[in-house]
Amino acid sequence: MHSILTVDDDENDQFICTYTIRRFDPDIKVLKAMNGLEALNLLRGTTPDAVILDINMPVMNGFEFLEHYKKEFDTHAPVVAMLTSSHHAADRERALRYDFVKSYFEKPLTPENLRVMSVLLGKEKHRT
Amino acid sequence: MSGMLTGWISIVVGTAIMALWLARPMDLALAAPVLFAMQFNTALCFVVSGAAVCLLLADARRMSMLLAGLAALFAAAMLAEHIFAIDLKIDRLFIQPFVTVGANPAGRMAPNAALCFVLINAAVILSGLLGRTSHIRVVLAALVFLISTSALLGYLLSISTAHNWLPLARMSPQTAFCFFALSTGLIFTGIERLGYHPPVVAATLAAATYFLLLTLTYVELLRQEVLFTQELPASEHGNARSTLLAVLLMSGAVYACLIIYAFRSSERSRKMALQLSESRKRLAAIIDTAVDGFITIDQRGTILSVNPACEAIFGYPAGEMVRQNIKMLMPHHDDHKQYAASAERTGMVAAAGAVHELEGQRKDGSTFPADLSVARIDLDDQVLYSSVVRDISERKAYERDILDANAELEEFSYRTSHDLRSPIASSLGLMSIVQDMIRQGAGVPELQPVLSRIDQSFRKLDHLIQNIILLTRTKMMDEPESTIPVAHTVRETLERLRHMDGGRLSTVHIDIPDTMVVRRKASRFQIIVDNLLSNAIKYHDPAEQVPEIFVRASSVKGRFVLSVADNGLGIPPGNEPQLFQMFKRFHPQHAPGSGLGLYILRKSVEHLGGTVAYRRQDKGSIFTVTLPEEKRR
Repeated sequence: MHSILTVDDDENDQFICTYTIRRFDPDIKVLKAMNGLEALNLLRGTTPDAVILDINMPVMNGFEFLEHYKKEFDTHAPVVAMLTSSHHAADRERALRYDFVKSYFEKPLTPENLRVMSVLLGKEKHRT
Repeated sequence: MSGMLTGWISIVVGTAIMALWLARPMDLALAAPVLFAMQFNTALCFVVSGAAVCLLLADARRMSMLLAGLAALFAAAMLAEHIFAIDLKIDRLFIQPFVTVGANPAGRMAPNAALCFVLINAAVILSGLLGRTSHIRVVLAALVFLISTSALLGYLLSISTAHNWLPLARMSPQTAFCFFALSTGLIFTGIERLGYHPPVVAATLAAATYFLLLTLTYVELLRQEVLFTQELPASEHGNARSTLLAVLLMSGAVYACLIIYAFRSSERSRKMALQLSESRKRLAAIIDTAVDGFITIDQRGTILSVNPACEAIFGYPAGEMVRQNIKMLMPHHDDHKQYAASAERTGMVAAAGAVHELEGQRKDGSTFPADLSVARIDLDDQVLYSSVVRDISERKAYERDILDANAELEEFSYRTSHDLRSPIASSLGLMSIVQDMIRQGAGVPELQPVLSRIDQSFRKLDHLIQNIILLTRTKMMDEPESTIPVAHTVRETLERLRHMDGGRLSTVHIDIPDTMVVRRKASRFQIIVDNLLSNAIKYHDPAEQVPEIFVRASSVKGRFVLSVADNGLGIPPGNEPQLFQMFKRFHPQHAPGSGLGLYILRKSVEHLGGTVAYRRQDKGSIFTVTLPEEKRR
């Protein structure tokens, strides 16, 4: 993994993501977007190795972002959804319905999450 | 009334006969001697007795008893003359008769008439003493009735030998008629109060009269037989006398049985009719006062009957619904017909009590949801449908309200669970970062920003919880109204909000008369003012040189209108519908918030019965709160 896009409106959560990714692998480039709209604009220019997506956001939330991302883009970076709480089964299933959404984690992001992620994406690469 | 009439009949006839006696028309006396069969004395007694009866019924008891006493005394004296064969010199006391009819001494009334006068007047005196009718009065009057009726019947059966036919019938027809009238009046007036049914009494009297006639006929027969024994010869198996007797007795028994039977069956049918009308009244009371509409229709859908509730439900007077087609009230009533038809086809008895929903139409054309339950009534010659209609629009509205409230509650619990966990998740993440940094040997200056992030997270959480508490209070709290000085409240609130970001930047213009006061629930009013002002301050435009806020309050036609305008960030076009909903945020980067503020504002305004509106300006927003006219105390 060389670059990860984190999409989250909460500054603290952005801080946690950045810090955790740095600690996991300082070489990974972290791109930031405050909401779905910003993320889409950013993705038009570059395709990161992975996207960490918050679902509850103002302006354009995670689900709206996924819908646009599916329709407007041909190549999709693998996406991992961040759920505030994994108790809402409906949210979970709705996110996993997109084939480029590989997994979901419950907040906050931990180094363990990133390890799982890299394994998951590594497998994905082997398959393609 | 009819009792009064009988009294008057007696008076009129008596007066007429007295007039005849005084006029002495010799030609008339020769042509119709029967007119003078009633003595002057008798006629006088009728006038007095009739007056006594009338006075009794008019409740002038003292006068009535006096007259009755005089008549009774006079009649008793006459009777004594007959019994003891004496002459008290009262026969021609008032008038010297110019003709003599019958066998009595001139001017003397017949013994049976005298007896009847004694009985009738005794009955009147008795009633006068008691002040009410009594069994004895009925018996006395009934005796007179029997005597007079048998006399009348005697005349009818054997006109030619009228006054000699029977000893008791020795009474002129007009006398008999007057006694008949007087006794009838005395028997039947107030008889119900004694517990008798008039038809029963009438039947009994008829039967008694018949038996009296039978007896008299029998006695007469015996007398005649002695005179004409040869003409009724004895046969082998008996004689004509016994045959005649048997026929008489048999017919009498049959007649009595018939009377009893007729009477019993009439009583029974009367009772049944009474029960029927009672149960009908009971049923009508239920149907007429029912809240549900009851409609009966025939197979073609023609309305046969409706109850008063239908008038309230459909808005038509009953007369406009009856004989019309049911489609007037339920345009889709065919559905019901199909339903009934299918029920009949499948052999199911048109599911009585099964309720289905359809649309009702009122007179003004408006429609409403209705519950309809239909029962099939199979009569001998036709099939009817009895329907019970219930207007369920209120229930439907409640259902909608409950669904709305439930959806809102679900949204609320979803959002709170998310928003409550969100700062905690952040804090947990930040805490593990702090621990990681400490392990790495980081110093206080490096830890400080992370710690302040934790602090920020908890503040966010606290703010949200405060808002939720406020919301719960807004919903639950019930407080009395108090007088609130508007301008003062606004200034005080602004003072409190000064510490907010941008609180000191904004220039606030207040256009509220100092004397203006409103009478509302103070804490709700405060929530409204707080929300309007803090939003205006929070969402000022940082790019604006002079952030300005205009607060205006006025009274328009009794309504209180408070508006807060700003030149701030405003709301992105197209977002207005979500503006007053829960957890909607439009400038999350600009200022922290729970997304509950405007929702709380709306709820508070609605609680006070008012409305809140948003209007976009070229630059910024105007929020206008309108509260309804204050209640007069």
